[in-house]
Amino acid sequence: MRRDIGCNHIDHQLSRRGFVAGSAAGAVAIGGLLTPAQAEAVKSGQKRILQVFLQGGLSQFESWDPKPGTRYGGPFRAIPTSVPGIHICELMPHIAQRMHRLSIVRSLDLKTNDHRIGRLRIEKGRTAGDFPYVGAVASKYLAAENPPLPGYLHITTRGLEDNTNAFLGAQHAQLKLLGVNAPENLDRPASLDEESAQRRNEFRRLANERFAGRGGQPAFTEAFDSSFEMARRLMKRKSLFEQEPSAKDIERYGSHPFGVRCILARELLSNGATCVKVTHHGYDTHAENFNFHLEQLDEFDKTFCMLLDDLHDSGMLESTLVLIYSEFGRTPKLNQRYGRDHWGASVSVALGGCGIVPGAVVGSTNAEGTEVAEREVSGGDLFHTYFRALGLDTSANHDIPGRPVPIGDPAASPIEELLA
Amino acid sequence: MKTPTSDTLSTSTQTVQRPASPPLPENPIDVSQTHVVTEFKHDIPLTTCRIDPTGRFVFAGAEDFHVYRWALSGDDSSKTLFTGHQSWVRCLDFSCDGRLLFTAGYDHRIGIWNAADENPSPIQMIDAHQGWVRWVRVSPDGKLLASCGNDNLVRIWSVPDGKLRQEFAGHKRYPYAAVFHPDGKRLASFDLMGVIKDWDIETGKEVRSLEAKFMWGFDQKFRADMGGARDMRFSEDGKALIVAGLTEVSNAFAGVHKPMVLCVDWEKFEHLHKWKDDAYKGMVWGVCEHPEGFLVASGAPQGGNKGMLWFLKPGEEKPFHSVTLSHCARGLDVTPDKRQLAVPQFDGKLCIYQMTAPHSLS
Repeated sequence: MRRDIGCNHIDHQLSRRGFVAGSAAGAVAIGGLLTPAQAEAVKSGQKRILQVFLQGGLSQFESWDPKPGTRYGGPFRAIPTSVPGIHICELMPHIAQRMHRLSIVRSLDLKTNDHRIGRLRIEKGRTAGDFPYVGAVASKYLAAENPPLPGYLHITTRGLEDNTNAFLGAQHAQLKLLGVNAPENLDRPASLDEESAQRRNEFRRLANERFAGRGGQPAFTEAFDSSFEMARRLMKRKSLFEQEPSAKDIERYGSHPFGVRCILARELLSNGATCVKVTHHGYDTHAENFNFHLEQLDEFDKTFCMLLDDLHDSGMLESTLVLIYSEFGRTPKLNQRYGRDHWGASVSVALGGCGIVPGAVVGSTNAEGTEVAEREVSGGDLFHTYFRALGLDTSANHDIPGRPVPIGDPAASPIEELLA
Repeated sequence: MKTPTSDTLSTSTQTVQRPASPPLPENPIDVSQTHVVTEFKHDIPLTTCRIDPTGRFVFAGAEDFHVYRWALSGDDSSKTLFTGHQSWVRCLDFSCDGRLLFTAGYDHRIGIWNAADENPSPIQMIDAHQGWVRWVRVSPDGKLLASCGNDNLVRIWSVPDGKLRQEFAGHKRYPYAAVFHPDGKRLASFDLMGVIKDWDIETGKEVRSLEAKFMWGFDQKFRADMGGARDMRFSEDGKALIVAGLTEVSNAFAGVHKPMVLCVDWEKFEHLHKWKDDAYKGMVWGVCEHPEGFLVASGAPQGGNKGMLWFLKPGEEKPFHSVTLSHCARGLDVTPDKRQLAVPQFDGKLCIYQMTAPHSLS
């Protein structure tokens, strides 16, 4: 792990400013601005995950691993951060001021340039096979006994449908929210009163029990049950989707779709969600890579930092693991459209929050960013790291009957340098 | 213009002795005979090029943050490095006498240089915009310099002292180019969304605004805007504003769109001619007007490396001639005598084309 080396005067200036700014904001929040939900979330001791998925493949050069002035470095400059010695791309000035709350892995080799395979490797921590996603594992092992919300919520507008829960049971599958809209058909039909609805549910429960008692496959009824249960929880929390963001939140997060999605993510995490994944689309930049990263990261940088600030200021960051990742990075070599293509051989991700050493950089790439130079890690290593940071023993087997399935890939291991 | 076979070259870096030969009569312009006369080589992709007003030098920006100068009638040994920017240089221009070079950098700065220095270093580096400086252009009287940048501003600077004179705010998205009208009283700017603005230099006010939305596209799937001018010039008589770029964006992130040249009737402030190539997916990166009544445009494709030169007559649907380039074009300029073209390419070559038949040695 590399830290605090090569810093110069300007590094320290920015570091001090960023730290003071962050501390001041924190002091205000601790001074009594926590919402009741946030206070309860902190008090509960529950651990949770915030995944920010930058869909399409964020360029490592234009984000966490800048190489200005090198053959493939592109036009953007590197800027110092609040952690002396760590520089990131100038497209993320707000994150630069909060670098002391995050850490970077610059040496991920996913060994694929395929969107789907890259995503699966980083989400499942396995190179092949039917295994649950990070969010499903979190839902299974981190959620409270009767969680007020479905365990794994994904705020997006599109994306492939996957078997995200694998063998963990349907109740741990991703529930995809289309933007900030409440799931469809959340209201009880007008023709059905409350009492009738309860009687229907009771009848369904009895029928399920009878089916199971006669030797029926419990997986069938469990899947239906979990759907009804998810719906019931969401119906109770429908107000989360109905409340308009405050003017102050809109001003801070932005009025664009990613802004309001991050506001919803904060509300869901504050109200008992175990894993919330927010997808920011638009990084598959085979053309105009630089113009598009300008646009996309301008939107991502400040908005994400507002969410990070709110988690920090409420005290929730200590119990929330934050992941910022893509399905791969982008090619060092530019194509003739000023684009960068798919590149899985030297990818960067950022982590922070619960159980993660802040302000660290793990691994490095070579001078031109064409390959990992030191401390290569895999998707499996990251998977172990997420859950070890959250206190889960990833060498243990999943809690499923009939067969021993290790939670983490036995061929991989956690990145110990990142674990607090 | 000196012919490629001539005499002694005094570049800033060295003197190149060439064998004396009698001057040859100049062949008439015949674009069907367009051919390469020189290839200057660099090992990094080029970003833009300009020929200085005296016709002695050709300059190019490169993806290595530097600007390079070659003697137009020299060879690779005349290559001179201009170093000072900390990012790519996207646009170049000159004082009217060609003594000063102005460079627009993605490091947010404008560089001012002595164009002919033997060992160039910047006279001044101006912190010009919050974000990339995308364009610089000198006024016809040489007293002003216009720039535009990613802070959505168009700014006017004094030449040669580099002091900020005026600031034009009004573009909602990045202005890609800004050029002075030949009368020196007005300035046109073109932004990402295809919005053209006409500014009054004296009052600093926006006079008119015209949309060319067909040179912009919103990719619904990726939720991204793509558009803007890749080159922009006024015709010499000031009657037309000529813009190079793209149209019909169908997949922004894969660069699937068609090349477009737009001519705007400046007096009526309306679209005069629109040219696109339906058979060619790609971008127009440079456009020049030729006094013989045609336009030349250079382009790069979406796939492969088949760069193009198109020779266009205003109002006609198809080019009356085209030339396949050895690689993707990144810009275009024409020599002061209007006989040669300079094309900077993605493969690092800066190719000089002659728009006449080759001289016959017989």
